[in-house]
Amino acid sequence: MGKYLKVLGISFQQEFAYKLNFIMWRVRNVMQVLVFFFLWSSVFQNPDANYFGYNKEKIIAYAFLLIFVRAITMSSRSVDVAGIISNGELSNLLLKPINFFKYWITRDISSKFLNIIFSFVEITFLFLILKPEIFIQTNFINIMLFVASLLIASLIFFSIAMLTSFVPFWIPEISWGAQFLVIVIFVEFLSGAFFPLDVFPTLVQNILKFTPFPYLVFVPIQTYLGSQNIHLNLLSLGIGAMWAVILLFITKMVWQKGLKVYEAVGR
Amino acid sequence: MKQSEDNFKILKRYLRVYIKMATNSFVVWLARRSAFIIFLIGKIVRYSFYFGFLIFLVKSTNGFAGYTGNQILFFTATYVLIDTLAQFLFRSVYSFRQLVVSGDLDLVLVKPINPLFRSLFGGADPVDLITLPAIIFVVVYIGSLLSPTLLHTTYYILLVINGLVISASFHIAVLSLGIITMEIDHTVMIYRDLVSMGRLPIDIYKEPFKSLLTFIVPVGVMVTIPAKALIGLVGPVGVVSSLIFGLALLFFSIKFWHYALKKYTSASS
Amino acid sequence: MKKAIVVSHLIKNFEILEKGTGFKNSFASLLHPKKRIITAVNDLSFTIQEGELVGFIGPNGAGKTTTLKTLSGLLYPTSGFVSVMDFNPWEKSPDFLKQISLVMGQKNQLWWDLPAMESFELNKEIYEISNKEFEKNLNELVSLLGVSQFLQTQVRKLSLGQRMKMELIAALIYKPKVLFLDEPTIGLDLIAQQNLRDFIYQYNKKYNATIILTSHNMKDLIDLTRRVIVINDGRLIFDGALEDLTLKFAQDKLIKAKLSDEIDIKRLEEIGMVKKFEYPELIISVPRSTVAIAASELLQNYPISDLTIEELPIEEVISTVFKQSKGF
Repeated sequence: MGKYLKVLGISFQQEFAYKLNFIMWRVRNVMQVLVFFFLWSSVFQNPDANYFGYNKEKIIAYAFLLIFVRAITMSSRSVDVAGIISNGELSNLLLKPINFFKYWITRDISSKFLNIIFSFVEITFLFLILKPEIFIQTNFINIMLFVASLLIASLIFFSIAMLTSFVPFWIPEISWGAQFLVIVIFVEFLSGAFFPLDVFPTLVQNILKFTPFPYLVFVPIQTYLGSQNIHLNLLSLGIGAMWAVILLFITKMVWQKGLKVYEAVGR
Repeated sequence: MKQSEDNFKILKRYLRVYIKMATNSFVVWLARRSAFIIFLIGKIVRYSFYFGFLIFLVKSTNGFAGYTGNQILFFTATYVLIDTLAQFLFRSVYSFRQLVVSGDLDLVLVKPINPLFRSLFGGADPVDLITLPAIIFVVVYIGSLLSPTLLHTTYYILLVINGLVISASFHIAVLSLGIITMEIDHTVMIYRDLVSMGRLPIDIYKEPFKSLLTFIVPVGVMVTIPAKALIGLVGPVGVVSSLIFGLALLFFSIKFWHYALKKYTSASS
Repeated sequence: MKKAIVVSHLIKNFEILEKGTGFKNSFASLLHPKKRIITAVNDLSFTIQEGELVGFIGPNGAGKTTTLKTLSGLLYPTSGFVSVMDFNPWEKSPDFLKQISLVMGQKNQLWWDLPAMESFELNKEIYEISNKEFEKNLNELVSLLGVSQFLQTQVRKLSLGQRMKMELIAALIYKPKVLFLDEPTIGLDLIAQQNLRDFIYQYNKKYNATIILTSHNMKDLIDLTRRVIVINDGRLIFDGALEDLTLKFAQDKLIKAKLSDEIDIKRLEEIGMVKKFEYPELIISVPRSTVAIAASELLQNYPISDLTIEELPIEEVISTVFKQSKGF
């Protein structure tokens, strides 16, 4: 246990050593949400409008929740694994009596913690300058389910980050390319981080439900907003949890396979 | 007479250097074949998703912010066009930091080629060369749905070029800032994010962001105005003042570059 | 004595992609990538006893680093058997990892942006060392290497030599019983090299640690190792005492003589190959079998005031070894 606490501590210090990177990452996050906010504000110019099952209050709540949900599920250090595999730094870690996955989960936790704090500051700040009307959930059950869905989302994101990071085991020159494709493109668009998935036609939405992506952002936000009844929420949560388990299992298998072909590149 | 002949020679030399630099950068990309394929797929998928989303959105809402659905799509297509052209032309800005930090910039400065030319145009991106024809097709197609007049189309083309001039000015400013502060990656990223706000007509943004996008990083002049001109919302005065604005920006950014070069102290010293 | 390391018929293959040069060829390899298998280690066998300090030498690409990486569990052997301290390295059991350390001259495990002390403390937790032992080991290592004043400096601000010493501290803070040192002195100045050699020597003696050392720096090998293992193209070509390497591979010996009078150099060529002639010094290389005859001939026929017979310098022997084996 002690070793992971120390990893947590040193990971924090590392983030502070890269203050500028961190701040830029936050600025970019906020800018994305701003585009979302302004786009939807202008769509909902008429306050009584109702599109895709949202009213103005709820879509604004969606925007603000995005900052928070992204800070929890999508801030992660395990995305660095692709880099350390392709440049050979992974060797350092393998030589130590420490569990690889626990090490990176610990580092993720430190990153998430820092990002959550910042997301609160940003939400407050944006709230003060934009003064939006916003929907606030008061039902305790929805909030509990929301927390659970965030945990599931974090696990799914962790395994996606890991699985895409393992591609360089087989194709070292690709480095973080696979990650770019999956996380920056597919996750961004299909998770609901870029726009609510309700915009898609019903058929597309139904297909997406069978992929792990909506459980990263869309489902947690839906759970918070309480747009569906509790049974449907529980069902989504169940499918999300299943995905988390399946993906974590695959991650472990691929890891063991990948190690065998690891060429410990460099010198 | 002699003078113009010399100029012609210089132009030819720069063109040859440019073609060589572009081919080199293509070969570098081809050598990393999996990365090449991934980035190509990435760009295609990203644009398809984005247009897909917008199409579904404007279909249900019949446009917004006072624009019709097709007009909204045209704003986005124009953004994609200008952004991709800029990425294609000014790609080497992204590797400039390494040049400054390692001190290798010295080696660029001693060559009988304008260092700005080398730093700005040094590495065309072949991925964009493949996506560009498709993007131009989309722009022409959506544009034709808006049935513009010949005059408005001329305005559009002029203003798109002007948008590229503004983009070039920004990249030059980023390079100059990079020489002075050794920091470039973040500035480029922030610039890219701000410009990407121009994928929607900037009318949708509220203060203080609207002023930021109009005056500080003039994404409006760069992206929104060209599209508006095609729709017929910009008069001759607007076009001329945009062009003057673009040229002024270019002028000042080159001044800034020369200032930065004067301040440059070799990193290896 | 206990066997610390056993390698038996180890083979390790890598698959590499061939890439053409130029626009046309790189486009062709984009469509039809060519794959090729290279054998980095080919049927390698040796054993090392506990407490031995062994030099591991070979030209670039001979398979030294691949072998060390396999021994530390980073690479999965294509075939063959490997055991280190009775563990199968590949399993990476914590008990195994706590006993070994791999140090590579140009790789670092330290956290670049933080003081080295932070990395040491992290290792303290990872290797589960008690406070007392940590303090003791740290003080010992720091004073041996003389870096106490740099412990709180950001690693990236250290010089290469200082950083290498910090790397060593991080690698040894848990007192590993087996050390794999891959080019530990590369890029260091002469004084730092000597410091490091003294340190390695003492570490080996003090803790009876088993050490495998690769180096292109012959001084490292001559100073530190008695036994050397030579590999080339992944194959073992010599395993034995450093002196025996000379006996086995150097067909010539050197006769060094001091002349007391000018002579005709042409006639000397009949005795052996003249390697150096700067009056009054003379060095002739002669076949090992005829060295005695050559020496007496010299003494009889030339005005010589002093004469010694020496082995070829080890650098030269090793480079002949590599040149010869290239022909295999």
